[in-house]
Amino acid sequence: MDRLKRELLPVKTFVKIDVRRLFRDKTAVFFVFIFPLIFLAIFGSIFSGNNGVSFRVAVLNESKSDFSTQFVKQVQENEVFKVDKELTSLDLAKEKMNRGQLDATIILPESFGNVGSGNYPTGEAKILYDQSNEQAGRTLGSVMEGVFKDINDKVVPPSPEPFVVKTESTATKGLTQFDYTFSGILGFTLLSLGIFGPTTVFPRLKQRGVLRRYHTTTLKVWQYFTGNVISNAIIGLLALVIMFVAAVVMFDLSMRGSYFNLAIVVMTGTILLFGIGLALGGWAKNENQAAPLAQLVTLPMMFLSGVFFPTFLMPEVLQSITKFIPLTPIIDASRLVITEGATLIELAPQFAVMLSWTVIVYLIAFKVFRWE
Amino acid sequence: MSKPIVKIDNLVKKYDGKKVVKGISFEVKAGEIFGILGPNGAGKTTTLEMIETLRPIDGGTASLNGIDVASSPDEIKTLIGVQPQTPSFEEKTKLTELIEFFASTYGEKVDPKKFLDDLQLLDKANSYVENLSGGQRQRFSIAAALVHGPKVFFLDEPTTGLDPQARRNLWDLIREVRDRGVTVIMTTHYMDEAELLCDRVAVMDEGEIVALDTPKNLIKALLKKGFKKEQQVEQANLEDVFIDLTGKALRD
Repeated sequence: MDRLKRELLPVKTFVKIDVRRLFRDKTAVFFVFIFPLIFLAIFGSIFSGNNGVSFRVAVLNESKSDFSTQFVKQVQENEVFKVDKELTSLDLAKEKMNRGQLDATIILPESFGNVGSGNYPTGEAKILYDQSNEQAGRTLGSVMEGVFKDINDKVVPPSPEPFVVKTESTATKGLTQFDYTFSGILGFTLLSLGIFGPTTVFPRLKQRGVLRRYHTTTLKVWQYFTGNVISNAIIGLLALVIMFVAAVVMFDLSMRGSYFNLAIVVMTGTILLFGIGLALGGWAKNENQAAPLAQLVTLPMMFLSGVFFPTFLMPEVLQSITKFIPLTPIIDASRLVITEGATLIELAPQFAVMLSWTVIVYLIAFKVFRWE
Repeated sequence: MSKPIVKIDNLVKKYDGKKVVKGISFEVKAGEIFGILGPNGAGKTTTLEMIETLRPIDGGTASLNGIDVASSPDEIKTLIGVQPQTPSFEEKTKLTELIEFFASTYGEKVDPKKFLDDLQLLDKANSYVENLSGGQRQRFSIAAALVHGPKVFFLDEPTTGLDPQARRNLWDLIREVRDRGVTVIMTTHYMDEAELLCDRVAVMDEGEIVALDTPKNLIKALLKKGFKKEQQVEQANLEDVFIDLTGKALRD
């Protein structure tokens, strides 16, 4: 017991000093705490809610029915649509779409809204979009389908349909795009903290001979590593808290899971990513060696792990690889906690990947570490 | 002088199969300042680093206080203090914190305030090393290397790159360490330094010790061989002039 206490003394002392040291370093404070907030602000304003998304459309109403007039009014009031009221001819609308000034044209044909055989109004709306703007056109199509479904349900007494598809989101209603994006930003922050930190600091300490001096003492590699890992985990957690508060206050982030679970995910992720930094920075003799290595490791991780765009948009081959990249389970797990309230047991697959990587990374880090 | 505290026997270091330290043997007595002299590449630093446990020993043995260096490196490390060539510490760290940390690496707790008081650096307790003056930094660095009370103190070319004032200050500090009963082993390639400071010197060249004695005896031996300096020795040299003109006070 006494021996253990003695062995842990340098770890404890290092952690205490190292955390204080960070707060004295203005550059470090900026990169650890402020920079992620700037990042958050930029991405947050891009992705916060669906409110920002709108379509520029023209509505050409060829029908004279009451229903169609009513419908046009509804579209004009809908926030999703920005209706160009001056457009009255199809040719003009086509020209504007061609020039990219208009996303789509909604055409209500003459018969739209006429009361049909079933004693209720029927009709088919046509959505015209330019080939270059296919995505907007398609999205608009599904938005309109939703609008019509609501109308249909109101107009027609619901009758049992023989076959229906019922889609149900695994997440509860009310999640914004930002809630998903947040985990990516979080992952990015942990990545820069875990990898860019040690790959700049360790080679610099080596070049200045600081680590060499430590080596002349009875300080062990595991003590030095543990001290660094703990202080980094504390700092990572602090960075998370600040980001989290900012995200809740500024962008109305909704948190569905437990804060404890998120903290566990972030700690595990921080330790894993720091291990990568430790291996690279511990091996490199100088910054010239470390910097390109750090880039080489972080860039693919950033692009393949869903920081900037969702992994499901990638080709299948890449998708199967991406699951096993260290950053992916960190982002996935925190996303699952935040958006779906996942429990630690439900996150077992992510933890399995994270922990395996942690073991591998630290084995390598121990093996390649050099004091000078 | 008392019993030997360091015993080096037939010590060998090889790099890529080539011997850079070729089986040297010497003893260092407790309480003396022992100098290892030699030109660059003579193997001084390598020899020191083997005794400090920083480099594996490829042949022969080294022992400190009767403890074998190769088999008990941790025990050796608690027995020695090491002052690197250019002492440097982590930045943005208070002196008290550095002392606390260095002591902790030996599993020890010290009172940093009292420690700094002994160094007359108490008023700098909350400063960072980078804000100390050159002389204060030297004093602090040496004290930090001795925080755990070692028996042998190693310095590798401690005065390389220092101005004459700083060199003299360091010599005084080294003598203070010796006066506290710590054995000092240092390397240098300045002969004046060795002559003034060292009780005994070993001269190394190409991985071998070519002479070992007190500076006085070495000079006597040379004179006995009939050596004569071509130039008449002056009563003072340019460095004496420099110190006379600029004083002994340390500069930053």
